[in-house]
Amino acid sequence: MIKVDNLTKRFGRHSAVSGATFEAAKGEVVGFLGPNGAGKTTTIRILTGFLPATSGTATVDGLDVSEHSLETRQRIGYLPESVPLYRDMRIREYLRFRGHIKGLRGNTLRRRMDEVIERCGLGDVRRKMIKTLSKGFRQRVGLADALIHDPPLLILDEPTNGLDPNQIRSIRHLIKELGESHTILLSTHILSEVEMICDKIVIIDGGMVLASDTPSNLVSKMRSAGRISIELKADPLIAHEKMSSLDQVKKVTHERDRGSWGEFSILVESGTDTRERLANLAREEGWPLRSLHRYAATLEDVFVELTRKD
Amino acid sequence: MSTLLIILRKELRGFFLSPLGWILLTLVTVMQGWSVSSAMKALQDAPIPESLVYIVFHMPQFWFYFLALFPLITMRLFAEEERAGTLETLLTAPVQTSQLVLGKHLATLCFYLLLWIPSFLQFQIFGLLTNLDPPFSAGSLVGAFFLILLMGSLFLAIGTFASALTSSQIIAGVITVGLLFIHYFLGYITAIYGDQFPAASLFHHISASEHLRDFSRGLINSRTVIYYLTATAFVLLMTHHALNYRRWKS
Repeated sequence: MIKVDNLTKRFGRHSAVSGATFEAAKGEVVGFLGPNGAGKTTTIRILTGFLPATSGTATVDGLDVSEHSLETRQRIGYLPESVPLYRDMRIREYLRFRGHIKGLRGNTLRRRMDEVIERCGLGDVRRKMIKTLSKGFRQRVGLADALIHDPPLLILDEPTNGLDPNQIRSIRHLIKELGESHTILLSTHILSEVEMICDKIVIIDGGMVLASDTPSNLVSKMRSAGRISIELKADPLIAHEKMSSLDQVKKVTHERDRGSWGEFSILVESGTDTRERLANLAREEGWPLRSLHRYAATLEDVFVELTRKD
Repeated sequence: MSTLLIILRKELRGFFLSPLGWILLTLVTVMQGWSVSSAMKALQDAPIPESLVYIVFHMPQFWFYFLALFPLITMRLFAEEERAGTLETLLTAPVQTSQLVLGKHLATLCFYLLLWIPSFLQFQIFGLLTNLDPPFSAGSLVGAFFLILLMGSLFLAIGTFASALTSSQIIAGVITVGLLFIHYFLGYITAIYGDQFPAASLFHHISASEHLRDFSRGLINSRTVIYYLTATAFVLLMTHHALNYRRWKS
């Protein structure tokens, strides 16, 4: 559905996007992840035809976004980050205008308006002026606008930004539902959101795509996938030395002492499990063992590992 | 209904949903009414060899409120869309920039024409009340209002252009006033420095005050008509390019 190939956008001397390459297949919900200023919005603006790329190509549904701008725009439902709306229009009036310029007429338009108002939970406020709406409802109006022409592709730029936890839940729920029938590119920097909703994750930073895979693959590939913590009673120096000499153990750190219990954290190579051998070692050495725990890496670990600056 | 008409209708509605539209309508009606009544007083006091229409459009206050209309009508057009971010939603919908520019310009032109309806009716009052022949020819009335339309088309295009340059309505308004005053005073250069230089005919050609003098006497000059139409087209083209500027800077 989306194919971005070696996309570059320069503003003067500053590169907002440099050589980004990723794909989103039809029906996928793709999380577009990155810290603030990573180039997410710029990439999205190129995809939606608002900005031209300096070089590289972006296609939507097989059509190049700069050559077939109007056709690709017709296929995209776009919710910009700031959710720009006409403040002194009523919701129905706004949706009618947006439907009109997206080419809907008469009965089709009326039917679609009723559908998106229902779907986005705007039924009770549909006659209100947009300027009197809360942030959560404005977000829904923006989403209703993105959906009105029933596009196969939705591009949502930080749709839960600035909402309260309840609103975030309901918008998320809605996106999840929409994901069953649409291809969605969801830009965000909230990791739990991506973990809950997305089939695939594209991590971008400094204008470059750093990773593009399913959430579980990303997590299992990460080095931090193999962190084990162990608590035992032993001389810290000896324990440190013995454990470090085991195969596949990369680094042992003596974290802290709790009374006579020492807590160590052990970094092992990814895809291996050293717990059994650690337990055996403790038994052989006669160290009392209180806990042995393997941390499942989270998406947060992946994200921090890929994008931190130090 | 085409995209252009949808945009036109939305913009036109916007004028009547805000107080500004009604204020402008009142302004033109009151100022023109004032001009008509002072013109009739002037005719009563002394014989003047010109028609009522000519005198009304040559009142000293005319250019002041006339030129003030354009920034007020146009400054919002693109500046407000840019500020609120709605330009992004508009231009990521299947809307061509040219449809947007033409739709908005035509909307301001329609609104502007509505502004002059009360003034047109004011000229009919004389005949209705006095049962005398109106003190002007049909030609001068048609000519004057035709020129009002032509000048409106160009000056609104200039305002639209200024609005596309910035996200601040105030700055857009100031640019519009500046450009309109320059255009107006270029027409006076020959009045100040005389005709004795090669480019004098150029300044005559673009002099809005000379156009008004001729048209309100019923002299409809096709060269002037073509000047205003081509200049409008040129300025709208510039507006189109200004909006697409973000597309070609890199």
